Amino acid sequence: MLPFSYTLRSLFVRRSSTLLTVFGIGATVAVVSGVLALRQGFTTMFSDSGRDDIAVFLRPGSTNEGDSRFRRQLGDQLMKSLPEIAKDAEGRPLAGMECYLAILREKTSGGKTNVAIRGIQPRGFAVHGKAVRVVEGERFKPGSDEIIVAKKLAARIRDCRLGDVLVLNTTPLKVVGIFESDGPYGSEIWGDLDRVLAALNIDNPNRVVAKMRSGTDVPALAKRLKKHKVYPARVLTERAYLQSQTAGLSVTLLVLGVMLAVIMGLAAVFTATNTMLAAISSRTHEIGILLATGFRPVPVFLSFLFEALLLGLLGGAVGCLMALPLNGLETGAMNFNTFTEAAFAFRVTPGVLTTAVLFALVLGLVGGAFPAWRAARMRPVEALRRA
Amino acid sequence: MIRLENVTRVYRRGGEKLTVLDGLSLDMEGGKFYALMGPSGSGKTTMLNLVGGLDRPDSGHVAVAGEDVGALEGAALSQWRADNVGFVFQGFNLIPVLTALENVMLPLSLTPLSRAERRKHAEFALELVGMSDRLSHRPQQLSGGQEQRVAIARAIATDPGIILADEPTGDLDRDSADQVLGLLERLNKEFQKTILMVTHDPAAAERAQRIVNLDKGRLADDPREGA
Repeated sequence: MLPFSYTLRSLFVRRSSTLLTVFGIGATVAVVSGVLALRQGFTTMFSDSGRDDIAVFLRPGSTNEGDSRFRRQLGDQLMKSLPEIAKDAEGRPLAGMECYLAILREKTSGGKTNVAIRGIQPRGFAVHGKAVRVVEGERFKPGSDEIIVAKKLAARIRDCRLGDVLVLNTTPLKVVGIFESDGPYGSEIWGDLDRVLAALNIDNPNRVVAKMRSGTDVPALAKRLKKHKVYPARVLTERAYLQSQTAGLSVTLLVLGVMLAVIMGLAAVFTATNTMLAAISSRTHEIGILLATGFRPVPVFLSFLFEALLLGLLGGAVGCLMALPLNGLETGAMNFNTFTEAAFAFRVTPGVLTTAVLFALVLGLVGGAFPAWRAARMRPVEALRRA
Repeated sequence: MIRLENVTRVYRRGGEKLTVLDGLSLDMEGGKFYALMGPSGSGKTTMLNLVGGLDRPDSGHVAVAGEDVGALEGAALSQWRADNVGFVFQGFNLIPVLTALENVMLPLSLTPLSRAERRKHAEFALELVGMSDRLSHRPQQLSGGQEQRVAIARAIATDPGIILADEPTGDLDRDSADQVLGLLERLNKEFQKTILMVTHDPAAAERAQRIVNLDKGRLADDPREGA
């Protein structure tokens, strides 16, 4: 094998072209890991925030709460009769009906976007527990025209700061509180179920949520309610429900990431190939010496491939450094499952970084393979003569 | 013993055929210092490359110590070169990113020696060429003469039987050339290396024990042959 120091110093000698390639690969890796971090942030927000002890009841056949409708009377019946639903201190079921609708609002930065508004019943807060925390102001009073707004929306959407009045159709709703939530609720506006339904001129809520007794077999309950004669429902845990809501955007981001990876990756591969070809042409003589000395083509091939791999690794490191500041940065994107604006943060996880470095190594490998092959199949006499 | 038997080498450039060696037959004794002379294009370097296994004859045989070099291929040929031949070139051809010591250690990495042993061998070779005080210098920090001495140390590091030198003094001033030739003489006399040196310089050729004159790919008369 050729010594490692030979490879390392050869890279260092051609500092400017090495740096250029490293940054080319680095930029590609940074962009791709940016998209991956966005996707990670989005999926994490949904899948990490759902709880297993909360059940979501939808109308049979619906895939999300937007297209589910529950008749109030059936919802009431369901909440009161299911033994699996946990009770509060006074023996009332820890459950509530909720309505949910995407409303078009103006962004503070200009333009419009869909924002989710949710109406809940008084015990809804108890069901969701710590998932929803009011950090400024107070909770809306039951039956009042008051709302609370997710902190992430307050700055992004007009009329959503504490004390503002948001007009829904013709009903003015006063923002009395700002809340935080790690999950998708963190991009919503919450108000009283009856007042929101009235403001939106809708009769029925969309779903029932309930805290389940510990040890409840939700799949078994789902099976039982699927064809229930009085209140048929599709039942799943909150975690399962939220996970099912990420598919659309998650796939879109993945496709975007792959497309960027392919297009920018091609450019980076060409840069790497070009750098390695230039390196080989300026070191033809050296290759001749190595071959004449008795080094076989395979070690020569591996040595140059290793050099390209090092270029990739350096590029990957630079790319990760460029992508790291994105971590925690908040942004919004359209969730195609609910057609509402979802605010979430980039998450540059170890998984994202590992993928990024592997991607960079592949770029180096693909870029270096052809030049290394060319170096290895040189004939020593010709390489020595080309001085 | 190096034997060339009816060796022909033809280069093809475009549609043109150029016969560089034309049925050359020649026996050279092992342990002797040969100078190969002749005008440009007479086939000196081609002959050197054939003996060193860098090139292959179109017809005829090249045998070194009984081994048919022209018949070796791939890994076997690489190994044969590593074991038997040391090359010294006009342009020194040291690897610029490696120090003098590392350049000399390079061919030793093809041997089963440990790193410490490789270092010992390389230091010995550099001492032999009088470069012990320049171990950690890079080629660009050395003079031409010094570079060539390091190149000779590299050629002898694995203790090959044959040293092939292509115009080793071509780029050197008189004094440096003299040192390099003295070194080759010493390697021949003290260590019984067979040396084949291509040169244009009659004064350099005088230092050899035998002179082979080539002309148009054939043997010209050697005035000293048999003397």
